[in-house]
Amino acid sequence: MRGQMRTISVELRRIMRHELALLHADKSLWVVSALLALLSVYAVGTGLEHVRSRDLERAEALAEQAAAGAALATRLGRVMARQEPPDPWANPTDPALVGGGLATRYADLPSAPLALLAIGQSDMLPDLYSVSTESRVETMYDSEIENPWNLLTGRFDLAFVVTYLLPLFILGWSYNLLASERELGTLRLLLSQPVRLGELVLGKVAVRAVVLCVWCVVLPVGLSLVFRPEARGVAGLAALAGWSSLVIAYILFWFALAALVDGVARSGALGALVLIVCWVACVIILPVALSLGASLASPAPSRAELATETRVITAQSLARLADELGRDYRHIQDPEALLPKGGRFEVSERLRAFFLASSELDARIEAKLEAFDGQLLGQQVFVERWGLLSPAVLVHEGMAALAGNGTRRYQRFQARVTAFHAEWRRFFGPRINQGLAIGEADLQALPRFRWVELEPGRVLADALLRLVGILAAAVGAALAARRALRRYPVT
Amino acid sequence: MNAALLIARRDLVELARGGRLYWMGGVLLLLLAASLAVGFTRQRQSHAERTQAQALDYAGWLAQPERHPHDAAHQGMHVFKPEAPLAIVDPGLGPYLGSTLWLRAHRQTEVKFRPAQDATGLARFGSLSAAWVLQLLGPLVVIVLGFAAISSEREQGTLRQTLSHGVTLRQVLWGKALALGSMLGMLLLPAGVVAGAAVLAFAEAGARADAALRLLGLGVAYALYLAAFIFMVLAVSAWARSSRLSLVCLLGLWIALVLVLPRLLADASRAWVPSESRREFERGLGAALGDATERAWKQAFGVGKPFGSGVSLSQWGLGLRVHDRAGYAVLDRHFDALWESYAQQQALQRWAGVLSPTIAVRALSMGLSGTDFDEHRAFSSAAEAQRRRMQDILSEDLIEHADGRGERHFSYRAAPELWARVPPFEYRPADAGAVLGRAWPSFGLLCAAGLLWITLAGAVAARRGLG
Repeated sequence: MRGQMRTISVELRRIMRHELALLHADKSLWVVSALLALLSVYAVGTGLEHVRSRDLERAEALAEQAAAGAALATRLGRVMARQEPPDPWANPTDPALVGGGLATRYADLPSAPLALLAIGQSDMLPDLYSVSTESRVETMYDSEIENPWNLLTGRFDLAFVVTYLLPLFILGWSYNLLASERELGTLRLLLSQPVRLGELVLGKVAVRAVVLCVWCVVLPVGLSLVFRPEARGVAGLAALAGWSSLVIAYILFWFALAALVDGVARSGALGALVLIVCWVACVIILPVALSLGASLASPAPSRAELATETRVITAQSLARLADELGRDYRHIQDPEALLPKGGRFEVSERLRAFFLASSELDARIEAKLEAFDGQLLGQQVFVERWGLLSPAVLVHEGMAALAGNGTRRYQRFQARVTAFHAEWRRFFGPRINQGLAIGEADLQALPRFRWVELEPGRVLADALLRLVGILAAAVGAALAARRALRRYPVT
Repeated sequence: MNAALLIARRDLVELARGGRLYWMGGVLLLLLAASLAVGFTRQRQSHAERTQAQALDYAGWLAQPERHPHDAAHQGMHVFKPEAPLAIVDPGLGPYLGSTLWLRAHRQTEVKFRPAQDATGLARFGSLSAAWVLQLLGPLVVIVLGFAAISSEREQGTLRQTLSHGVTLRQVLWGKALALGSMLGMLLLPAGVVAGAAVLAFAEAGARADAALRLLGLGVAYALYLAAFIFMVLAVSAWARSSRLSLVCLLGLWIALVLVLPRLLADASRAWVPSESRREFERGLGAALGDATERAWKQAFGVGKPFGSGVSLSQWGLGLRVHDRAGYAVLDRHFDALWESYAQQQALQRWAGVLSPTIAVRALSMGLSGTDFDEHRAFSSAAEAQRRRMQDILSEDLIEHADGRGERHFSYRAAPELWARVPPFEYRPADAGAVLGRAWPSFGLLCAAGLLWITLAGAVAARRGLG
């Protein structure tokens, strides 16, 4: 048995060497390598530029937040020491103003170590929220400003190259593995050697797969390690291993499919046609059909209804608070009213009324907003369940998740921002309602947003599930190809 | 009978005998039927929701009790973008734009609630619509049906036979094109009729002629688009030594023109005309508004601090008017600059429509369907005009009735009659004539693309001849 394996291995190596020489001679090795290297480098560059600009924006925002915080503390000290009169609209002792914007905190989502490998949802969903005592509806429904035409077009990132273009390279390079040999009459000659048809196909596929892996796996991994120091940590390396496994499995799936079609189709042109139909079905039609299925299985509640309900609730609250809203901004004309006395501050009735109205809105609209979160979760579950139908969906979703730009991570971020918003309001609520002045200790104790990353084990487990899905499809196609090759007519 | 017609008839018979037509045509029709059903359902639901929400919102506005007008301005009103009848065919940028605007005191807002935010990452693969099917898969069907149109005749030697009967290469080319065009027409015409009926059934009585004109424009646009691909297929088929090479080259072209080039151009246009991120935009707008307000405040009241102790409450209404009006020009400048950057990015990409008809037809299709950025911009501008109307009416009322109360300014409560002075928001999309007038560059590009490929096909066929 061992001897037989060794013979196969020797034969396989010989076929691979021979195939490599052929690919070198017809220049396809260099054309494919150059194109893929160019595409990979460009796509990684696109991702890197995107990540850097977002990181820079976040860093600037956080630096501004720190500077504004320091300025607020200084102004508070000067106001308390009577060195500066308080500004009625920027009074650092007024809890309604401090919570409502003067001490705005950013909730930020850091870029994941592999963010450059898939842009995913990050060009549309914000990774930075400015949290204040405004209602959740006002705080949480920002989105990134981006040209919608470009959003519709999509980004040229590595996820695009791998999901869409890599299979086309595989198909273009292997749609006539046997058909061309048969049409040229060299297949009989080859099989007159001590070589089996399966080994011959395996050898041809193996050479091509290695070349593609070099440009679409090794090169991006190398670029990530060079340009993204975060990727060198344990979490980054684990994610890189998961990402590489997914891409290799995807490559194997398409080679197995090409071998299957090659074993069945009677001509190169027919094989190419069948493969392109498979590609269109897998990469173009199925993801769109699944997206449609998800939106039908878990439809989004009406945003128009949400807007109407928001308006109705706000109107009711403000009507109830009409007396408080009718009070004047006495403090504007009375500088003494702008200063705390014995730790207490006379919060403007109007500002308190607005805070109470937004609290009521948050309380009453919560169920509606939860319904939106629930439906998105439902859609994601649907996609994860039915994504097994298309390896393209599995690899695309898997790459986005490992790059930290998938739906789940953004859902977690929004849930964390919601919790932080509630914490912020809880901090300021008693101070606004009871008229407690903001002091230095309060500024020190302001809630801070803490991002808790998705559990690495969970992310890797999800990647593993997707990997198993793609490998199952690859193995299925490979077994079918093996069966087809046994019946393959050599002449 | 003309030789081209004879060739077309023969090719049609051959195509009808082959399996490719039924498979590809069947899949295409199935997808078109599904996309039209989805589009019709989505359209009807969105239209009903938005119409109802718009009516409820204004009814709520009118039903406000006596209250301080500035509180009413802070609460504001929502306006909803009407769903265009042709969104059944092409939802365009709708998923990335949203349809709800909150009009309230002091600031112009961006449209909220983009449907793509309520969807998973799979939405980035595209959304099923008739336009998506035609733009992406239409050319593929042309390739599958026509890749061997000339190359196989050359391989089998029938091209030599045909030409020996005195038929010219030009006639062969036009005959083949006619056959492919007729085949596509037979496939797509029923779908077009269904789409037209759905659109006309959905459109309001007064808007049917407009919708019909837009439909006609769409029909012409897609006919030109597919014609460009037909001649591209024939040019490659005439050039290629074998049908296999023809197929591989055409698939490569399809990938390059339909999938790769639009993304590369989007990147290039973004680099050429950078547009601001949300934070950059808000920071720039905030700073400019602050400066403009301080200047206006100083001019009006002699002090630079808006709403500070330098101005008494007896001038609060006047102060609001000064504050708001100071902002209008700044808002216009910043929003125009942002939208202009988008328009320039798209214009840069549009010029590549000569190379990639997909880019040209996409712009044209969403323009004619009323789902492009021009339409969105017009809606946003109309909504902003409504916001300013509301704000001005309320501030004028404050000047008239509340400022006279001196320190008791905020005790003023306006009677509900004031709310009725703000008219309901009505938005009428541009009419078909204006849209068609705007669309001529894209039509021109599609025609240029078609002519380019016709010329290339003729030149290649003449050069390759029988060899």
